[in-house]
Amino acid sequence: MSVNPYETKENKLHWLAEVTRRQFIAIIGTLVSLGALLFGGFESLKFLFPNSTSDPPLRFIVPIDPTSVTVDNPYMDYQHRVGIIRDDGGFYCVQLVCTHLGCTPNYYSNCVTNTPVLPATAESHGERTPAERIPNGWICPCHGSRYFIDSTNFYGPAPRPMDWVNIEFTPDKKQFIVDRSNIVVYRNPGQVTPPLWRIDPTTGVWNGKVL
Amino acid sequence: MSSGSYEQNPIKAFASEVWGSVFRHGLPTTDKVAARTALTNFFLHIHPVRVKKSAIRVSYTLCLGGLSFFLFIALTISGLFLMFYYIPSVGQAYQSIKDIQYVATFGLVMRNIHRWAAHAMVITVWLHMARVFYQGAYKPPRQFNWVIGTALLLITLLLSFTGYLLPWDQLAVWAITVGTNLGKYGPIVGPVSRYIMLGGRNVGQSALTRFYVLHVIALPLIGFVLMVIHFWRVRKDGFTGGL
Ligand code: HEM
Ligand code: FES
Repeated sequence: MSVNPYETKENKLHWLAEVTRRQFIAIIGTLVSLGALLFGGFESLKFLFPNSTSDPPLRFIVPIDPTSVTVDNPYMDYQHRVGIIRDDGGFYCVQLVCTHLGCTPNYYSNCVTNTPVLPATAESHGERTPAERIPNGWICPCHGSRYFIDSTNFYGPAPRPMDWVNIEFTPDKKQFIVDRSNIVVYRNPGQVTPPLWRIDPTTGVWNGKVL
Repeated sequence: MSSGSYEQNPIKAFASEVWGSVFRHGLPTTDKVAARTALTNFFLHIHPVRVKKSAIRVSYTLCLGGLSFFLFIALTISGLFLMFYYIPSVGQAYQSIKDIQYVATFGLVMRNIHRWAAHAMVITVWLHMARVFYQGAYKPPRQFNWVIGTALLLITLLLSFTGYLLPWDQLAVWAITVGTNLGKYGPIVGPVSRYIMLGGRNVGQSALTRFYVLHVIALPLIGFVLMVIHFWRVRKDGFTGGL
């Protein structure tokens, strides 16, 4: 054996001095290979993250005449996954993405028959009986969640109301511009009061209310 | 095989040479030849040379692992056939599935074999795992095979999941929307995993491409390698049934 530079047994690095040349190269080689593999593997993983996607744009024109959307006749654009609704206050736009697991709920002129309503929701909707309740809204085809026309969930596994997104008129006021990247009404579970956010039915100007 | 016959009939000689190069031993007439045949034949060596009677009792394994493997083979072959017609594009996928069903000869049979075998395999793999569990077959020295087994279960489920999207019908698109949204709730890597699975934020063309590649190449390949190790270990670790 060569001279041991770490004389005492107690020395923590004692084992290092015992390592032979071959063992040393083996250890370093293994570490370097492992490091290279880890680094290379990690870097290669980036390949799987697309730098650009083919997702459709979130801001788009809905080419319908605003006057054709009436209280009894909301407009559903299932391709873009939005619904444009008109009521006494004006227009608003609901993003048709079920808050349960993301399917597109379908519009029904009556979605409340034979369906119990969550107590909190019933209260905020004036404890009306099913017969008196405004019956139109959405039913999700995936697991049956149901939503009133103000997007409040009242039945099924959906945890919270669907989001409202920004809507405006095109400059000529003949079409709508919807921006799904701009969520204007976000409600948490249990937040069931109907929001007041609207745009004016004739001018298209936002009424300034946030919820 | 006397040397005389070689000279007498060259065709016969050639044939026997070819035969002999493939099959090293004759028909297993004695135990010794049978043993050598099993040892030297690639397909037979999955079995040990000697098997105890107690080990081949069907009621012991219920053949569940074997059934899973059989279904995997059936899926590989029927899947290969489907690949000749299936087009992994959002515009054509559904139509090509219909073509398989109504235009291709025996296409309906192939598709049904693939579909039913897929359902069956998920069931048999689960049951196989339950069998191993209830018999304590996961205990040392077979812990490692249990771990390989859980990976195989995962691969089986992922194959089922990725295959489900390929018909590109309503069921497919929404099932994958729901499934990947579920994944989003996973800790830390959840949201990233959805993006990476779909190659975007919606179930679209990139999702179809990714699922297709995973379904027809990546997952079966990984599964196959794991199965080879799985079987090897069953042989090496011995069998709880006494194999
Ligand atoms: C693709 C799925 C799978 C295939 C094709 C497969 C195949 C097999 C085969 C052919 C056997 C021989 C005996 C038998 O039939 O039971 C076996 C044994 C075994 N498998 Fe699997 N298997 C799969 C999944 C699993 C899973 C999910 C587990 C558990 C997590 C598992 C754990 C084991 C263990 C521990 C043994 C040894 C059993 C014993 O010695 O009694 N395998 N497997
Ligand atoms: S995704 Fe709508 S109810 Fe589950």
